[in-house]
Amino acid sequence: MANALEIKHLVKSFGDLEVIKDVSLTANQGDVICIIGSSGSGKSTLLRCINLLETPNSGEVWVNGELIKMRQDKKGQPRPTDHQQVDRIRTKLAMVFQSFNLWSHMTVLQNVIEAPVHVQKINKIEATELGLELLAKVGITEKANQYPSSLSGGQQQRVAIARALAVKPDILLFDEPTSSLDPELVGEVLKVMKSLAGEGRTMIVVTHEMGFAKEVASKVVFLHQGRIEEQGSPSEIFNSPKSERLKQFLASNLEG
Amino acid sequence: MDILAFLAFDDTGWGDEMLGGMVITLLVSVSAMAIGLIFSVFATMSKLSNNVFSRVLGNTYTTVVRGIPELLVIYLFFFGFNNALMAAAKSLFNYHEYFEFPVFLTAAIAVGIISGAYSTEVIRGSFLAVPKGQIEAAKSVGMSKFQIFHRILVPQVMRYALPGLGNVWQLTLKDTALISVMAIAEIMRTAQIAAGNTKEPFVFYIFAAILYLTLTTVSTHALNSAENWANKGVRRA
Amino acid sequence: MTISSGYFQMCEGLPGREGWLNFNLMCEKLPDLLKGVPLTIELVSISLFIGLFLALGIAMMRLSNNRVLNGFARGYVFYFRGSPLLVQVFLLYYGFGQFEFVQQSFLWPFLKEAYWCGILALTLNTGAYTAEIIRGGLQSVPFGQIESARAMGMSGLLLYRRIIFPIAFRQALPAYGNEMILMVKGTSLVSIITLMEITGIAKQIIAKYWTPVEIFLIAGLLYLILNFLVTQLVKYLEIKFTPYLQHPK
Repeated sequence: MANALEIKHLVKSFGDLEVIKDVSLTANQGDVICIIGSSGSGKSTLLRCINLLETPNSGEVWVNGELIKMRQDKKGQPRPTDHQQVDRIRTKLAMVFQSFNLWSHMTVLQNVIEAPVHVQKINKIEATELGLELLAKVGITEKANQYPSSLSGGQQQRVAIARALAVKPDILLFDEPTSSLDPELVGEVLKVMKSLAGEGRTMIVVTHEMGFAKEVASKVVFLHQGRIEEQGSPSEIFNSPKSERLKQFLASNLEG
Repeated sequence: MDILAFLAFDDTGWGDEMLGGMVITLLVSVSAMAIGLIFSVFATMSKLSNNVFSRVLGNTYTTVVRGIPELLVIYLFFFGFNNALMAAAKSLFNYHEYFEFPVFLTAAIAVGIISGAYSTEVIRGSFLAVPKGQIEAAKSVGMSKFQIFHRILVPQVMRYALPGLGNVWQLTLKDTALISVMAIAEIMRTAQIAAGNTKEPFVFYIFAAILYLTLTTVSTHALNSAENWANKGVRRA
Repeated sequence: MTISSGYFQMCEGLPGREGWLNFNLMCEKLPDLLKGVPLTIELVSISLFIGLFLALGIAMMRLSNNRVLNGFARGYVFYFRGSPLLVQVFLLYYGFGQFEFVQQSFLWPFLKEAYWCGILALTLNTGAYTAEIIRGGLQSVPFGQIESARAMGMSGLLLYRRIIFPIAFRQALPAYGNEMILMVKGTSLVSIITLMEITGIAKQIIAKYWTPVEIFLIAGLLYLILNFLVTQLVKYLEIKFTPYLQHPK
């Protein structure tokens, strides 16, 4: 059976700056992979290369056994070859962003059913039913007909998670989902994420929340300056870090 | 080509007259902008005052002047300003002689009143945008009201107001074309006369357009430099 | 007709030239000024309508990567925003009418009419300003919301239709409302090429009776009412499309 996700020798540069230098990663179904590292280590860029919000300069990205085709354009910039393939693959991957990115002109419920109805061509009534179920799951049903601007950060992020779940993705991508939240609101979002992990979903989470990684991850990947410095189970990474840099990182990031 | 002959700088061509028109346009624009700024300072204070009547007055000024076509305002001044002044002179100073108020000034005041209404909105907005914390900080180091106004408030208001006032300047510049109906020899009027004389309206109206475009382009560059100067030390989006 | 004679009788009763303001004249001339309103409304409606489509085209050109299209759009906007509307009107009406090839062309029946020249000038002018408003609206769509749409597999026309245009429209609404008001005022300029809309009639009356203040007040009032109606329309649209931006309950 094909792996849910396979990344082989990924390289990504922005101009002269090489942000990801050679990263290979495999995710099986049901894995919860937490990617940690300091700012500038390339964590977000790595995640964004999976759903092609950034196009890698070289390397391979396989989603569910399918290789995303890429090429170079006239100016030497990397581009996906087949946009329809990219759109199709994106519907199997769902991303939750640091700044939520809910669509401001739609209500909460409209946000959730937008992709199912307009991209996956699901019947609106079905999609609405599913949408309301998901809103209930993340604990935000009462806000279904309100606009994102009247919600708190934590509430918006939970809506974003419901929106991601609505497309029934194979893999959930989380890009620092709690970094923009006030400390009191972080907990409600982590709670939802923990329950998703408990359901056996495949999740790739870029995060600073070490507690979450320790509790929930099946594998933790420590990225440093664009390379995987160390990876392993949470107990290996947090309790017996091997590399110096990881030890330094953990020392400066774990409070108390 | 014939075109260049029409624009010649001597008696045979209209080039010098057109450039003279440009100078008049600039003079009226600058005067109008200045008059407008004076109006706007008062109107801003009026709109921000605690007195209801004051606020109504200020709001009426900006709403009415911005809602009525500039041409109507200009006609009002062209046909009525002189008589109004004479009537005022008669009743206030008992001066019964006929006089003609210089039409250049009438035009500048007319355009100035229009310009002032837009300037008021810009200055009012800029005034409200100055973070209150800066005033509080000044107070807490013991600056006097005048010092606060002069050293903290005015420079900040000017910094915020610059882009908006730059816009108002461009508007004012273009509005001066309307005073051609008052027979003042600025760009438009000169072009009209030249066109009528030579039966070549196309050449002269294109040239008029070029002169205006030159003025607005130079203004844009000057304003960009001014904005950069005013914003040194400030991080901008 | 009894209504009109009744109206004029009522006007007779108002103080006239002997007072500080000639209410009599204001009352009498109001119907004349009102006759200019339909033309004003026609001019502004037609030019705004056609101008909007023109603006969409110019905005698309301006945002395209094609250097020729982009350059043309830039030049277009530069010209129509950098020069006074009056020059643009005169250039069309007097300037183009000068040429033989224009007079021979199929466009001549239109271009020799002040009405069509006026509409054309107003349309071209609003096309430039509106194009910039549209461009501003499109560029102000928060990038994150576009990204999240992409991440869900949206692209191309679907992305524009469901996300980019709706948000851009809402962002551009206040600025476009402003533009509509500027256009209502812009119609007054075609009075100079002899069209008898409100300002044209007003000037006629002023020149005849030398009562600039009185006529200014009435004509000005008519414009203020028109602009008030425009503002109300925009407010209605804002409430309808951006209920979440209205004052919190």
